[in-house]
Amino acid sequence: MTVFSFHINGDRVEVAAPDHWTLLEVLRYRLGLTGTKQGCDKGDCGACTVLVDGRPWLACLTLAKSVEGREITTIEGLMPAHRKSGGAGADPLQDAFDRCGALQCGFCQPGMILSARALLARNPRPTRVEIRHALSGNLCRCTGYTQIFEAVESAVAQACGTTTAARAWEAQRERACEREDTP
Amino acid sequence: MSARDLHGPGAPWGAATPGSKSNTDFKVVGRALRKLDGLSKATGAALYADDLQLPGMLHAKTLRSPHPHARVLRVDASRALALPGVLAVITGASMPIKYGVIPWTPDENALAVDKVRFIGDPVAAVAALDEDTANAALKLIEVEYQVLHAYLDPFEALVRHDPPIHEDRKEGNISKNVRLEFGAVDEALAGADVVVEDDYEFHGTTHAAIEPHCALASCSADGVLTLWSSTQITHYVHRALAKVLELPPHKIRVVQLNLGGAFGGKSDPFSLEFCVAKLALVTGRPVKMLWTREEVFYAHRGRHPMHLHYKSGATRDGKLTGVDAKILIDGGSYSSFGLVTTYYSGQLLTGPYHFPTYRFDSSRVFTNKPPCGPKRGHGSVQPRFAFEVQLDQLAERLALDPIEIRRRNFQGDFTRTVNGQRVTSNGFLQCLDAVERASGWKQRRGKLGRGRGLGVAGSMYISGTNYPVYPNEMPQAGIQLKLDRSGLVTVFTGGNDIGQGSNSMVAYVVAEELGLKLEQIRVVAADTDLCPVDLGAYSSRVTFMVGNAAIDACRKLRAQLVAAVAQKWACDERRVRLIDGLAIDIEDAARSMTSVEVFQLAESKFDTLGATGSYNTPKLGGDYRGGTIGASPAYSFTAHVVECEVDVETGRVSVVRAWIAHDCGRALNPMIVAGQMEGSAYMGLAEALLEHHQLNRFGLHSGPSLLDYRLPTSVDTPELHALIVESIDPEGPYGAKEAGEGPLHPSIPALSNAIHDALGIRLKHLPFTPGKVLAALRQEQALRPARPHAALDEGSR
Amino acid sequence: MLRLPKFELRSPRTLSEAIQLLEEAGPAAMVIAGGTDLVPNMKHELATPELLVSLAHIEELRGVRREPEGALAIGAMTSLAEVAASELVQRFAPALAQACSLVAGPQLRAMGTLGGNVLLDTRCQWFNQSYFWRQALGFCMKKDGSVCHVVQGGKNCVAAASNDTAPALMTLGARLELEGPEGSRTTAIDDFWVADGIVNKKLGASEILTRIVVPPTPRGHRGAYGKLRDRGSIDFPLLGVAVRLDVDETERVAHADVVVTALAAQPKRVAKVGDTLRGQTLGSPEFESAVLAVAELARKQCRPLPNIPGDADYRREMVPVYVKRTLFAAARGDGPVHHV
Ligand SMILES: Cc1cc2nc3c(=O)[nH]c(=O)nc-3n(C[C@H](O)[C@H](O)[C@H](O)COP(=O)(O)OP(=O)(O)OC[C@H]3O[C@@H](n4cnc5c(N)ncnc54)[C@H](O)[C@@H]3O)c2cc1C
Ligand code: SF4
Ligand code: FES
Ligand code: FES
Repeated sequence: MTVFSFHINGDRVEVAAPDHWTLLEVLRYRLGLTGTKQGCDKGDCGACTVLVDGRPWLACLTLAKSVEGREITTIEGLMPAHRKSGGAGADPLQDAFDRCGALQCGFCQPGMILSARALLARNPRPTRVEIRHALSGNLCRCTGYTQIFEAVESAVAQACGTTTAARAWEAQRERACEREDTP
Repeated sequence: MSARDLHGPGAPWGAATPGSKSNTDFKVVGRALRKLDGLSKATGAALYADDLQLPGMLHAKTLRSPHPHARVLRVDASRALALPGVLAVITGASMPIKYGVIPWTPDENALAVDKVRFIGDPVAAVAALDEDTANAALKLIEVEYQVLHAYLDPFEALVRHDPPIHEDRKEGNISKNVRLEFGAVDEALAGADVVVEDDYEFHGTTHAAIEPHCALASCSADGVLTLWSSTQITHYVHRALAKVLELPPHKIRVVQLNLGGAFGGKSDPFSLEFCVAKLALVTGRPVKMLWTREEVFYAHRGRHPMHLHYKSGATRDGKLTGVDAKILIDGGSYSSFGLVTTYYSGQLLTGPYHFPTYRFDSSRVFTNKPPCGPKRGHGSVQPRFAFEVQLDQLAERLALDPIEIRRRNFQGDFTRTVNGQRVTSNGFLQCLDAVERASGWKQRRGKLGRGRGLGVAGSMYISGTNYPVYPNEMPQAGIQLKLDRSGLVTVFTGGNDIGQGSNSMVAYVVAEELGLKLEQIRVVAADTDLCPVDLGAYSSRVTFMVGNAAIDACRKLRAQLVAAVAQKWACDERRVRLIDGLAIDIEDAARSMTSVEVFQLAESKFDTLGATGSYNTPKLGGDYRGGTIGASPAYSFTAHVVECEVDVETGRVSVVRAWIAHDCGRALNPMIVAGQMEGSAYMGLAEALLEHHQLNRFGLHSGPSLLDYRLPTSVDTPELHALIVESIDPEGPYGAKEAGEGPLHPSIPALSNAIHDALGIRLKHLPFTPGKVLAALRQEQALRPARPHAALDEGSR
Repeated sequence: MLRLPKFELRSPRTLSEAIQLLEEAGPAAMVIAGGTDLVPNMKHELATPELLVSLAHIEELRGVRREPEGALAIGAMTSLAEVAASELVQRFAPALAQACSLVAGPQLRAMGTLGGNVLLDTRCQWFNQSYFWRQALGFCMKKDGSVCHVVQGGKNCVAAASNDTAPALMTLGARLELEGPEGSRTTAIDDFWVADGIVNKKLGASEILTRIVVPPTPRGHRGAYGKLRDRGSIDFPLLGVAVRLDVDETERVAHADVVVTALAAQPKRVAKVGDTLRGQTLGSPEFESAVLAVAELARKQCRPLPNIPGDADYRREMVPVYVKRTLFAAARGDGPVHHV
């Protein structure tokens, strides 16, 4: 058992944990930050993704004590950070995920959103191909990824003041309405 | 009596004609609204089972069998119990009562009593102060096994019954056989102009929800046991717990928190639920068990491997005359839903095409493998694959366009299938039109050059089943509403939101019916203490049944609300419309009041406000043994076109795009429907190309991890285009049917058919690995050394 | 959770401190870099060190530098993402940059180091499994047991070298700089391997890999990496092919090399590649047939074993295809060869 300290979502915390605990275990079971999820516990799924000094990192493979002095961001940190910088509501990316239906069971999403956050930090206007690659270490079993891509694109569009193309089902429904309206 | 008979006065959307295709009359329904729980999930606030920690909580772990088939001669836990920090060890003897989700086939024990039947079968469970101690204790438990012959091949299990996997079964290792014949199939096939007969093989796949199973139990001083579990069917867990623990059901509370995906993989009662409950009872402390990913693979209940033989005949103009199927189903070690699976493998094929005659003979056998069960598209994805490929083979023989042969055999709406199922709304033709148009089928098919192709397939699926797993006359879905003077409506539903958005769906319905804003509605779900019984999230039943139950409850309340307002305004009730958080007078625009005022008025007039609602299916089904299995109050229909690209040198198949048209009845929230369609197609294509639940020669899962069981990543998933078709079902809530499972079915055969279009090879054995593609290419070249248009193909590259 | 066995973690600030810690603890100690190989293996009880010495805080082990004479010196603790993104590496050692860019998925490339990748343990479907799993079939020679499930009756472990960077570094003639209790030494990466899946590298006791040095590549250097895997991300290689083509001013091949990995315990250099390709002008029909000849050489010389998941026959069939494609990619100056 060692005591060590690091920054979590902007706060400096001191934690006592055995050396063989992972960051994931410390976050979830010591700090109560259960937003970070566990899907495989051995690096295969990305559910436990957090940001370490801004980079997406797998908490399940990180020895807790090794983050001594580092800056960790978990999903719980995004909204407070957004508010602190004068924003309202949730982080725009979180909001976009909600707005675009990207959240089904939601279990992959904390990790997914943090991977997307890191992408936008270094590339504010990614293409779909870039989005695909940046999220390719986060497995989602529910969505087929489409609405996740749309959410990231929607957040980008909102930040840039542009609009996104109609989704397949929207375009098709619009067509259907037009057909119905014409006598 | 079905819920719609009890609905209160008039529809809430005023003058709009019922069955109108237009969504504009609705305020809530039909819009791409946010989900109730979206932000809580996006911000990490949503709690899942493993997020809960209780004071004094113990951690439990399971000891598992290393043998695929063995008798358990002795379990000695004394050394484990002596380890400091170990609070309790339980074994099969602690819970000898058998259970099974289907009441006719209880063949599982929470922990092995006399035998283990697959590698990973639970044998003992330990509760300790922490996980490390529990793990250490497992290594101290001594088990003596007598190893038995292991059945790894279903063909062997079909003919060899000694030793039996389950001693008490009359039919040896046969778990279930169903043989049903409708009409004179042999004559019909003999009289057909063309007959295609072939073998197909569907491999095993699993759900792989990202959240591993987890359960936490706690027992109060007065003996009430609470179980928080990652289950998709609270009610069946509740029943099974009562049976196995021999407790009265009212002493048990089962709660499902947020669920990190399920897809059928969390529908059975599972060993860990009984173990934590028992350990909590024994120790008097809360006990949690979180399965590792590997354990989730052992628990399985995934898609059954099937060997399928089909013979179909058609007339010269492409009309089917008869279909004959013989299916061998590898069930794994326990029954699970197997009885239903066996029926579904035949019963659910009889649409969207008209079968004049039909026969199926399906046998499910036990093998010493992780038990199979229901996975998205339960029992019907495998036969659908085989049949839709066979339909393409027929089209090829008849030189018919594959979409055209499907159109010609369309069964129509408001009809009856050959096996006696009632079909109501049916938008299959519109689905075909939609994918044909969107994919550019007419201009592009067969013209994309060698290696690129388009394929089509269709399907139908149930919206709930008429057959609750235990027969009873009580409602299949119940809802309770509480209104109060704060302006809030609390909805209590036993329905399980497993990520598909069913809680949101209920809120949309209530908001629509009572003319409220979404923020005025809270949903309390899947808590057996608080919510009326609902049969849970399976068979794509929730929207249809819970939606109807919600409408039922709302209309009772709306009658009171409207009456109170009408009395106050001294006007006819028909003038009062509840909309958008207001009551308005449709004839006097100046007159309105807020819903808070309405609630207070009604509460003053009628007393405390509340209502219940329920839904039960009408009597349906064919008039023969098993005729109700596969009967559904409505069916959804789907058509896919898949565009693939095959690298002929590496054999790798890539899906470039998939168009998914699905008739879900009215889309209560098109964005959620699209999400279900995309997720379904993704999962189907993954099964076709990547995923394989495979056992090695020891009977051990060959790669029980999310590394070796390959779920597609974001770079492996094609562009998916969801095209929603809304047939408006007369009995669905606002005309809605299902969208969660149906859209998976056609993706697999459509891909096989696309590969045929690309290269002229028929892939009939899943998964379509690059090695199989290359083998098929070689075989095709050997068979047809001089393909007439091969040169042309090469030239056009 | 999948628990880690108990150990003590130390994070020294200097190399000498680290070596001292390792030496004091002897075989009970292990080095941890990014931990992306070691931690999953420890969770499976494939390694149970009592002491872990983390190199994370030793600054001198990080970074990519170009030495005065043109060599690239890459600190062992430099992350794979950094190596992949390094302009120096992309320019002077493209095969290495490409190989790094295809390791695992994005998070693992940020965490995993080049040193850790070079020192990656060999992999096998019968080995990279939990304790329970391995126990169910009586373990195997590589850990806790005495038999091999790949080559039944075999006397040697043939677990597969699965590190993507090793073949690329071999084509680049890289040297490894190691520091141990006896001081420092340098070894050609080619000489670092042994044909034993149990431990396939000659890493001395208490030794630390400090730098990976890529000698200067000539102006006409071309290199590429090809990787066969099921998915477009996350997966280890089912086959990895690194190629090198050095051409003169007239685009004639002066030097060529092909190394294939994920076959058996060590990466395999395809013999006679140089002789076959030397003198051919890129893009010429002769070059193309020489490439096909090299692909055929590779097919004859490389026999993937059923050690890692996936169909070994198919992997073998893909050897010439990936060799050919990767050579063509290098000739064109692009790559990597990967299906997405
Ligand atoms: C899901 C998943 C997918 C993966 N896919 C790939 C893949 O496609 N290709 C691939 O090559 N790898 C893959 N890996 C493995 C791993 O991520 C990488 O190989 C990574 O580069 C290892 O580096 P590391 O720093 O994390 O090594 P560590 O795990 O820290 O160390 C690996 C080994 O090297 C030793 N070691 C490390 N650094 C030193 C040093 N400087 N001196 C002495 N000893 C040292 C350690 O003691 C340990 O034995 C994957 C891993 C996972 C979990
Ligand atoms: S090759 Fe695989 S099975 Fe054989 S000894 Fe090595 S690790 Fe074990
Ligand atoms: S839980 Fe960390 S990658 Fe799966
Ligand atoms: S939303 Fe369920 S796993 Fe991604």
